[in-house]
Amino acid sequence: MTSLLDASPSVMDAMRGERGSRPPANTTAAAGLRATLEDAIYELLGPAVREVPLVVRASSLRHGEPASTSDSPVARVRGILVVQALRLMSVGFDVERAFDEALVAWRAEVGASELTQAVEHLSDDDAALLRSEVEAHCVTLKRSLGVVATHWLPRTSQRAHQRLAGGNVVLRDVVDLMVGTTASEVASVALLDVTTSRLEEGTERAMRYHALVQTLRTGVVPLRTSAFSTATGELWSSDVDDVLLTRATADVLEVLTSMVTS
Amino acid sequence: MSVLSHGRASRHILNRLVEEAPSGPATLTDDHRRSLSARFRAVSSEHHRRLDAWMVERAGAPSGPFRWSPSTARRAIGNAALRRRLSDPALSSVAAVDAELDEQLLRVLDGRARSGSLAVFLAQSAPATRGLIGAEAAAWATELAEAADGLHFSWSVAPSDAFYDVATARTTLRGRRDLLVVRDDERVVVRVRAGAPGKSAGPGLRADLTIDALADPAGVAAARMIGLWPEAGVVLSVDGTIEDLRAGARDLVRTAVVLQRHRLTAAA
Repeated sequence: MTSLLDASPSVMDAMRGERGSRPPANTTAAAGLRATLEDAIYELLGPAVREVPLVVRASSLRHGEPASTSDSPVARVRGILVVQALRLMSVGFDVERAFDEALVAWRAEVGASELTQAVEHLSDDDAALLRSEVEAHCVTLKRSLGVVATHWLPRTSQRAHQRLAGGNVVLRDVVDLMVGTTASEVASVALLDVTTSRLEEGTERAMRYHALVQTLRTGVVPLRTSAFSTATGELWSSDVDDVLLTRATADVLEVLTSMVTS
Repeated sequence: MSVLSHGRASRHILNRLVEEAPSGPATLTDDHRRSLSARFRAVSSEHHRRLDAWMVERAGAPSGPFRWSPSTARRAIGNAALRRRLSDPALSSVAAVDAELDEQLLRVLDGRARSGSLAVFLAQSAPATRGLIGAEAAAWATELAEAADGLHFSWSVAPSDAFYDVATARTTLRGRRDLLVVRDDERVVVRVRAGAPGKSAGPGLRADLTIDALADPAGVAAARMIGLWPEAGVVLSVDGTIEDLRAGARDLVRTAVVLQRHRLTAAA
């Protein structure tokens, strides 16, 4: 895994890497990974159809970490707004007033929700703190992200929903930024998770999870999976290979086992 | 017999499904149209009914009022952007989306947009909201182009959804369609949906197949209707057989019945 601080080269350059060194696109691994997961889930849950499926998310993979301040509603809003700013930057929108612009975009997307109401009812001090935090995180993001070229086919907030074991298990995922194409003869897709927290062990598991779910969704193994912290300016990036995907399946099965036994 | 095929998204999956679609799809005759009209007329309605596959999948359960948002606007703009890219391959998805957004705003300036339309929604939105709509639409256009990339057949973005007004039954049917693929002189229709297919995805697909055939002036069904759920990586398809068309029509009429029941219950 590559780790860069205050990304130089830029996040995008690190994600894309050298064009000439990309391996051929792996279009055969997905079926094996799915079969491995299906077999292990059958052993774990048996043949009965559950009334409520077990739902795994990238956040489920952070289970081993102590409770973090990023779980508070204000911290969640901070993360959401930074991702909204990323979405705007990915299509060339010049984000100048990050908090205001991200907030407007977010409200247009979700309408009225518990979280948007929470923002409405913040005290003046808390609202000012949230604004300054979002602006600061976005400064780091803007400085480090680099140019998102349109011919890299940027896609933001890419959702995935994978049903396994007849619907007993659902893998849900949202990748903040995806570039590249699954239609290429070489591995091309790079995934980026942007977090306002520090990068930790759970971040690495989440990176693997994004790669696994993306592989199951499209049938093509991505080139690289990365995470960028707007808190520290640090970027972690891993090439996606069989070892990483095998570890990702083990991570998922571990989470499922803990869900069943808890 | 009606058959619903299920597949996993993989490279060239659409090409395979188009290649394997059976030839000689069924044709709906004037008798079929008259019979459908009579069935809808039998379900009284005070208001003009609008039915689509989504309502069939929800078994007529009422849903909230429609509102424009970045996610509801992405398909219209994304499809239009992909159409632009087909006529100008040098355009990126993002540039094509920008051009489409500009075109929509121009309609408002020229007074060609009606109240409640997408163009008016865009004009009334803040620049940041339009930026987010652009991001959603570019992602849609890119996903659609990627899905169609392996097709060895001539394809285009559907100029619009399929609409069919059922004669004297105050009913409009709307069929969703995104890509039109031409194989010999037959067509295969691809429609793309967000999320994952539920248990009623098959009836929804058949409803779209039926509406598409009804909207065809000659009543010729598509050789195959393919439903693509990119988020789930799932592809379902139904063939243009008379059994599938009948099943689709039956489900649409049933949905009208259930809707009418809901209205009567709400009014009581």
